[in-house]
Amino acid sequence: MSTIAPEFRLSRFIASLTDIIFWVLLIFSLVGLPLVFILLFYIKLPIVNGQLLTPYLAMTWMADPSRTIPIIKSLIHTEFFRIIAFPGFGFAALLAAATIFVERKFLAKIQLRVGPLYCGKIEGILQLMGDGLKLISKEIIIPAKADKPIFWVAPLLFVGTAAAFASLIPVAPGWVVSNPNVGLLVVFATIGFFPIIVVLSSWSANSKWTFIGGIRALHQMISFEIPLILSLLGIVILTGTLNLTEIVESQQHYWWIVFMPIGAIVFFITILAELERIPFDLPEAESEIVAGWLTEFSGMMYGLIQLGTYLKLYAFAGLFTVLFLGGWNGPMVWPPFPQEIITNGITIGPITAHIPGLPLFDQDMLNGTLWFVIKTVGVILVILLPRGVFPRIRIDLLLYTGWYKLIGLAFINIFIALGLLYAGVLGHGGLIQ
Amino acid sequence: MDSFLYSSDGLLAALVGEVAGSFSPILLMFGFAIVATAPALILSRMIAPRRTSNPVKFLPMESGQVPSGEGRTHFMMQYYAYVLMFVVFDVMSIFLYAWGSTIINLPKAATLPIIGFLAIMFASFAYALYQSGRKNIW
Repeated sequence: MSTIAPEFRLSRFIASLTDIIFWVLLIFSLVGLPLVFILLFYIKLPIVNGQLLTPYLAMTWMADPSRTIPIIKSLIHTEFFRIIAFPGFGFAALLAAATIFVERKFLAKIQLRVGPLYCGKIEGILQLMGDGLKLISKEIIIPAKADKPIFWVAPLLFVGTAAAFASLIPVAPGWVVSNPNVGLLVVFATIGFFPIIVVLSSWSANSKWTFIGGIRALHQMISFEIPLILSLLGIVILTGTLNLTEIVESQQHYWWIVFMPIGAIVFFITILAELERIPFDLPEAESEIVAGWLTEFSGMMYGLIQLGTYLKLYAFAGLFTVLFLGGWNGPMVWPPFPQEIITNGITIGPITAHIPGLPLFDQDMLNGTLWFVIKTVGVILVILLPRGVFPRIRIDLLLYTGWYKLIGLAFINIFIALGLLYAGVLGHGGLIQ
Repeated sequence: MDSFLYSSDGLLAALVGEVAGSFSPILLMFGFAIVATAPALILSRMIAPRRTSNPVKFLPMESGQVPSGEGRTHFMMQYYAYVLMFVVFDVMSIFLYAWGSTIINLPKAATLPIIGFLAIMFASFAYALYQSGRKNIW
């Protein structure tokens, strides 16, 4: 009994290997090499220690560990690092993935269940990885009458738009992927893309459940966008800026939730509705319309939509933290980097390594990130909480809440802000600075 | 050799203005997210099984029944009024931001026209909400 498949032919195997090698070489020489040259021509290379860092020099320095840290430091301050790793996609995706696991355990504890338990030794900690492997090995079924290009692209667009939204959130002083002057308006513009993507995907699937779910999502997101926009006007009136970083800097002494609790509550409810979370999960109501606009997505497409949803959740929680909870502001609790390592180097047995430029991140940034993450995780937990507690509301009540109550409360919030400004309590020359 | 196409700022060609440059990381992040997650779909398509023998599998989901009629059905106009209201009042509320972000530098008398604007907005809001609340006419 051989373990090799019965149809195995060694000659075909070798032929396929040489085939692969041929194509790799061809693509590398036709696409890879020109791409490397184009990149080397356009990328602005950093200057480390007074020398232009060419790839050759970088390779040489990599061999010497004491020279590697300045290179890493210069890479950390490039835009690509920001987009890929820290305030950008990597950080957001990590928090989003953690949220998925925490949500399952948290809801299980609320409802006196156990939650994920068997995958991984400790409390099902590897459940998420198992789910990812399961999703990636499942078949993607596209409905026969679907609009295939739009249907394929919709999950990618959803993740991309959620990531673009997350790129606007300032995490620590100076650590933000994109910092436009009109940041808040860009946030509104980015949020405005989600209903379009949802309606496109539900239309392209050509199924009744997805279409009903898409129409519901359209109505819900549209009804709650106006209260969302109006509830933040109070902050803009009092700070006089639309830049998110400047809004955080204006909250060094007090948070805006202290003066505008009504605006914060309205904004929080609209967050729940924009995220399609219980009690506003009508577009995905699984007991009424199967899975709403997600019905026809299978396998990894569904996984990408979930990733996008949780990226969006992180971005909204971060936005709440930035606007109402003071962002990265907080007491300095992060310990300073030990000075003797910088001056004396690290001594391990007989070897002493002097490593110049060791603190990769400064204390302000680490402390700011710590406070931002603590506040954001708190907001995320409060967003998750209603799912274990509340039932779903009816669609006419949803529209009634959005159009009558929340917009009225948002206008009350605007008049409170105007009153604080004109009574001379806040703003330039006010009692509280 | 400064021109409107090429600045002396290193090797980086400054083809776009500084304002547009502050928005470009958003697009880069959008692109990176797509580039980073598209391989998951491609990989899944490569390693997952694909059996096309059973055509029933590719029918739209209708809770186990054989699908009938069109997927893109028609709806009642019951809630259509809210979509129409969004088109008007979303723009109006964004207009308020132009006033709100500069209010600190404006004289206090400049608030009066905005109060007039708000009055028009409230009146039209009330009328539109009254009309969209009358479900039997839609």
